[in-house]
Amino acid sequence: MIDLGQALIFGILIGGVYALMATGLTLTFGVMKIVNMAQGAFLITSTYLCYALWQHFGLDPVLAAFLVMFPMAALGFVVYKLVIERLERIDPGLTIVATFALALVAEAFLALIWGPNQRATDPAYSNQAIHLGPLVLPVAQFYACLLAVVITVVLQVAIKRTWLGHAITAASENPEGARLVGVEPARIGAWIFAIATASTAFGGAALSFLYQFTPDTQDFWLGLTLSVVIVGGLGSVPGAFAAGVLLGVTESLTTTYLSVRWATAVPTLLILVVLTVRPRGLFTRMTRQDAGS
Amino acid sequence: MTPLTWLTALRRAWIPIAVAALISYPLVSDDIYYQNMLIMTFILAIGASGWNIMGGYAGYLSLGNSAFIGLGGYTTGILAAKEHISPFLGCLVGGLMCAVGAALLSLITRRTRGMYFVIVTFGTLQLLGVVATIWSSLTGGSQGLAMPLPTWSLSYQDWPFYYSLLGLLVVTVAVSAWVRRSKLGLGLFAIQDNEDKAAGLGLRTAVYKMIAFVLSGTSLGIAGGIYAYYVTFLNTAAVFDVITSVLIVLAVLLGGRGTLWGPVLGAFIISPISDVTSTGFGGADAGAFRLLLFGGLLGAVAIFLPRGVLPVLESGLRRLLAGGSESTPASAGPDRSRTAASVRYVGSGSVKGGDRSPALVVRGLRKSFGGLRAVDGVDLDLPRGRITGLIGPNGSGKTTLFNIIDGTVPTRDGTITLGGHGIERSGRPTRAHAGLARTYQLPRLFANLTVVENLVVPERRFAFTKLWTNRVSSAERERALAVLDHLGLAAYADKGPTDLSYGQRKLVELAQVLWLDPILVMLDEPAAGISPALSERLADLVRSLREQGVAILLVEHDLAFIANLCDQVYVMANGAIIATGSVAEISADRAVIDAYLGDSAVPVASGGQA
Repeated sequence: MIDLGQALIFGILIGGVYALMATGLTLTFGVMKIVNMAQGAFLITSTYLCYALWQHFGLDPVLAAFLVMFPMAALGFVVYKLVIERLERIDPGLTIVATFALALVAEAFLALIWGPNQRATDPAYSNQAIHLGPLVLPVAQFYACLLAVVITVVLQVAIKRTWLGHAITAASENPEGARLVGVEPARIGAWIFAIATASTAFGGAALSFLYQFTPDTQDFWLGLTLSVVIVGGLGSVPGAFAAGVLLGVTESLTTTYLSVRWATAVPTLLILVVLTVRPRGLFTRMTRQDAGS
Repeated sequence: MTPLTWLTALRRAWIPIAVAALISYPLVSDDIYYQNMLIMTFILAIGASGWNIMGGYAGYLSLGNSAFIGLGGYTTGILAAKEHISPFLGCLVGGLMCAVGAALLSLITRRTRGMYFVIVTFGTLQLLGVVATIWSSLTGGSQGLAMPLPTWSLSYQDWPFYYSLLGLLVVTVAVSAWVRRSKLGLGLFAIQDNEDKAAGLGLRTAVYKMIAFVLSGTSLGIAGGIYAYYVTFLNTAAVFDVITSVLIVLAVLLGGRGTLWGPVLGAFIISPISDVTSTGFGGADAGAFRLLLFGGLLGAVAIFLPRGVLPVLESGLRRLLAGGSESTPASAGPDRSRTAASVRYVGSGSVKGGDRSPALVVRGLRKSFGGLRAVDGVDLDLPRGRITGLIGPNGSGKTTLFNIIDGTVPTRDGTITLGGHGIERSGRPTRAHAGLARTYQLPRLFANLTVVENLVVPERRFAFTKLWTNRVSSAERERALAVLDHLGLAAYADKGPTDLSYGQRKLVELAQVLWLDPILVMLDEPAAGISPALSERLADLVRSLREQGVAILLVEHDLAFIANLCDQVYVMANGAIIATGSVAEISADRAVIDAYLGDSAVPVASGGQA
């Protein structure tokens, strides 16, 4: 029973972190229907940047994220302008290929700069724990989950309340209509992409003190974030959160009752199961499809 | 000989020459280095040609095809190591495993589209890698799996590997060529253009895609088995490496996606590069440099050469050779003077027979999007041989109603009975087979196909045996040409639909759906935006369909067109039918005037001119 409770606590906390890591993909895949296969690479790049700031200046990874998000946003903006905007017009399939190619290049650069050895940041809270009776609440996971909630709420409010948020919603739901009222979907696209890439700074920061990382873990994180987005139903932020928790709990239970090695298979297995049972994801709503066609 | 036929002849000759050179190479040279390079090239070419059937023809990209090498390799390896089965037999089992695996993945993704397919293939590659590592009692895990060593005399070098892989490559390319020329290929290219539309024309798209993916994977699986024997040692990290998948995609994109020879050409460029770098790059950073090189190449090809070398070369050569005399006007062909009566738009099928059941009966159809009730309890009765109009203000739910009837939008509430068969739970191909056809507000023809091919794509019934027949049989071509002739479009038979005007495309789309031999045709704003002459031709065509007993349901804003054609009219507002009757009756209806016409004069009087 305690095992189960402990597994649930771990799962829920980690689930929030997974949702945070997938935030960028939720925006690009869900809102713009662009599969960004470089999500894992962006995430791990952020992680390394936070790591560098922590290592050289002793900056806490979470604080570092607030600096890292600016170069990441710029990177996203440039990638959108140079690669995605161009390819989406020819063939969306090419965007997938090109972003995947980008992920490989990023992985190569990280490996050339930092080498293949495992790294991690270890701020003071990284191995503290709060004891709640027989259960243990790991502080690092708790902070990371808190960060996830804060970032998600901020993004949600921004989308609901700001002009850019309205423009994003409009451009994604009805590009033609948006163009008519002076919102150019292509320009909005660059901003969404920049925000999505910037948000990996926070996921990357959490990753830096929760896990050991190497450059070649980017494809694992890509698989995991894709899983969050597909299981959650494209683009739904609450769905992504629910999916993150489902993924976290399943992994945690797998680790507790089966083996930690099988836990790495969970994201893909969940994708396969969900696509078989409910291709639109577990937490989706139907919308009118013919608008504009 | 014109330069163009000269070019084709050269191309024909090159293939036997190249094959002969490859066959004789090991006999004349004992250089093991180049033999090895060619063996790896064959494997990549097999993978690329297979990938192209799914990725190039059907448009479904995969980033996980190296999983087939792994699956085929491990199956062969395990059979050889544990059961002492010869790898040259075991690799066939490996191919079978890959066929089954591909079929399973197709089942899982059958209801999803391309972007999910990429993700699923990518995830499956990772998953198989994890499983192979964990299941070490079978696979040797991260320790690796050693295969028995070859038993033949050293003087034969690697000939058995070389020739079996070369043979497999020839077979794979032959299969690919055959797919291109068959109805299967026609369907796959249609799916790439517009899968929804293809399903609406009766194509069992899930089956097409499954066959394509199985063909994609099987030969690579067999090649994986031979590869395992060749390297005699399998290790999970190397075999399930995503970089192999990247090389496959890179070879196809570089050579020319969707062409027959592009993937092979790409493999012969990429494989030597890969070979040189894996031996040439040394030190701790070798892996990173390879990633950088192939990631960079893949990105560069996707961005700067998305069509690939072969199509670019070909169109360049064509332009060069054709010189100034490029556009030879399409001749209208021999003058086939046909009377309208001899032209069959619809077949002699069930339409004229004794079946007098109503064409379509709809009861209690409902659909909500969130809080919006788009369709709210609609009943329709469409008799055979009648033209029914459906009018209503914008946003009243007409197109949604079309989408529910043809299965694009699912709903749980209400029944749809077509020619006596309940179809409300059926998929789109089944509805098409039952006799349902529809056109779209903006015509959706398949851009990758010629006009004649567009006409013959529809399938009234599904048969496996038909998939392997020619794209367009001579009987089909004859009938299609007659139809085009009657539409005044004979000159466009072998052009792409982009050469047609908007109105002509609408006519061709109508002729296309009539190929289904339907009992009900739904037309979504057929007359909108087309010239009066074409509009008149369209009205004639619709009337002749009525004569043949086909039921027609048409949405139209042009009330004169409606008044001119329709026997009965339904009026829709806010998702519900608010009036029904003859044009005169509904014109006098108070509710209709309020909801739709406002207080302006009723524009029916003008009558004749559509």
